Amino acid sequence: MSSRPLLLGVLQVKELSILLVTIAAGIYFTATSGAFNSTDNYQTIAQYVAPWSIIAAGQVMLLICGEIDLSAGFVFTLAPFMMMQFFVNGWPLWLALLGAIVVSTLVGLVNGLIRTVLAIPSFITTLGMAFLLQGLVLIISNARPVGVPKDSAVLDVFGGAHWTEFLWALGVVVVMQVVLSATRFGIHTQATGGNPVGAAESGIPINRVKVVNFAITSTLAGLAGILQGTRVGSYDPTNGGFTTMFFAVASAVIGGTALLGGSGTVAGAFLGALLLGIVFDGFNLNGVSANAFNVVLGAAILGAMVLNVSLIVVRKRLGSRERI
Amino acid sequence: MTAETGATSRRTALKFLGMGGTTAAASALLAACTSVQDAQNGGKSGPFPGTPGWRFVFVNHVTTNSFFVPTRSGLADAAALLGIPEPQWTGSENGNVAQMASAMETAINGKADGIAIALTDDNAFIDLTKRALGQGIPVIAYNAGAAGNFPLTYVGQDLYLSGFRMGQRIAQKVTTGEILVGIAQPGGNNVQPRLDGITDALKQAAPGVQVQSVNTGAEQAGELNAMTAAYTGNTAVKGIYAVDAGSTAACAKVITDHGLSGKIGAGGFDLLDDTVAGVKSGALDFTIDQSPYLQGFLSVLYLYLYRLSGTLIAPPATDTGLTFVTKENVGPYATAHSRFEGGDNKDVIAMPGAIPLPPASVLSR
Repeated sequence: MSSRPLLLGVLQVKELSILLVTIAAGIYFTATSGAFNSTDNYQTIAQYVAPWSIIAAGQVMLLICGEIDLSAGFVFTLAPFMMMQFFVNGWPLWLALLGAIVVSTLVGLVNGLIRTVLAIPSFITTLGMAFLLQGLVLIISNARPVGVPKDSAVLDVFGGAHWTEFLWALGVVVVMQVVLSATRFGIHTQATGGNPVGAAESGIPINRVKVVNFAITSTLAGLAGILQGTRVGSYDPTNGGFTTMFFAVASAVIGGTALLGGSGTVAGAFLGALLLGIVFDGFNLNGVSANAFNVVLGAAILGAMVLNVSLIVVRKRLGSRERI
Repeated sequence: MTAETGATSRRTALKFLGMGGTTAAASALLAACTSVQDAQNGGKSGPFPGTPGWRFVFVNHVTTNSFFVPTRSGLADAAALLGIPEPQWTGSENGNVAQMASAMETAINGKADGIAIALTDDNAFIDLTKRALGQGIPVIAYNAGAAGNFPLTYVGQDLYLSGFRMGQRIAQKVTTGEILVGIAQPGGNNVQPRLDGITDALKQAAPGVQVQSVNTGAEQAGELNAMTAAYTGNTAVKGIYAVDAGSTAACAKVITDHGLSGKIGAGGFDLLDDTVAGVKSGALDFTIDQSPYLQGFLSVLYLYLYRLSGTLIAPPATDTGLTFVTKENVGPYATAHSRFEGGDNKDVIAMPGAIPLPPASVLSR
């Protein structure tokens, strides 16, 4: 009897189903690969998860207010090269890094202003921005990879030391979840996507909310790009791009964010990224070769989503029955 | 809880079990596939003693690119010959270095028995190579090598030399004016050294020739557009060349489309269908074969012997080739559809009546 309110509380956690699916995936790979449960492998999974979840933390905010940023993947590619551009021109590394982050924010700001002032849909705005940035990266880098500056304490904090990239990801997820669920801005964001007309009429500055969310997404994408490049040891113009962006959006949607706006959580997106990371790493560990890999990956994502949606239905049914 | 709800939850539970069952069946199927592979592999081959089913992993930068189809045939053939499981073929589909690094890391975590990697980046794989070697996992580089890394050896074309030889060959035909050279990924470790080689050779052999490089991008359709645009913008060029497979095919197409066959110099690398057709029709003076089959076959053989001999048979650095394919020897390339060049023909291919002279041998100093 006393366990019932607890059960009811647990059932109301939106992320419960995706968490269960993620655990199921973990159990599957534990059973099929002896090397899955090792610290080294956790680290590899964390490396998959970190960039996706950082970008997804921003994309969730945008998706909730009814927008999307397709250019985030190329901000991811651009940021490290902006940093190196500043760095080789004599800026100290910490300032160069800050400069690169500011440039990323500005890209988001421009995206947001084009979207809101000129009323051009975000899909086409950010698609254009994506190609523009891709070209810029190729010009700045001369399409060549650049080695990461050696022995820098600043870069050790930003991805250089083991696990720092993942710790940044956790930090970003926590902060953004708090922003989304416990601040006025977060509530405005949800209102903007859930009911734009009502939100505007009740005095919420929906355009400003959108612009800020574009800027946040872009900033986070730039941060993620620097973290990943530093961790790998090479800033490469082939990193990031549409693939990374789509994995971030997929993480958000798998984690329960509605593609058409209104609802979603950052914590869910993190679990989505974790699920993708486990599946990606696990099938590689199991020795699945490239041609079959995407078939297996795609089937796993579809299977996980079917399971997730069925779990949600069950959870709702059980929840409503308990209340009666 | 009433009996009614009890029944419902039983139904739900059953539904769940059903779904779980499907997943279980799917995974059982997957598992079955693996076990079939295991059953036919891992064992004894020819004169060699029985070995465990050593699991080798190939990390590649463009896993689904058609260029590497013969490489995959080669590694599968070597594995079958040696009685080990077919090596895993993984990495990135689009040159993403971070993804390749993660794939290599996964191979190390999974305690692979050997890793072959295309070192397309100078910095990203150094620590990983050290870590693998430190854990007793042999690492060799294939297709692309990098300075300052520590693979046991490199199996692939000597890229700079191939470009240098190509430059010398260009100098036999073009002595003044501008030439276009298409490159899919400027700075890429697997193509840039060729361009450098061409430039250096021309400086020595034909200093009157200016090289204008064309960044064609990695997508095949885009490569043709880029080459066409570059030619349209500069129709006075004396030659159209390229240093990667896709751009070379684009060269052949541009020359055929503009009716330039034989009027200007042309050539490049690898053996895409358009390229082979171009050599046959005379649109291209030559193309250079780097034997992707051997890059897979020899890598597996080397890793196997290294393990089998407990490091006594150290893998030798192997230049997989610098074969100029010209109108004289293009015959079998164009007609055989051989497995060795990415086709599906497994039959023995007849030898030609005479073998064309290769470039004269030179002693290395």
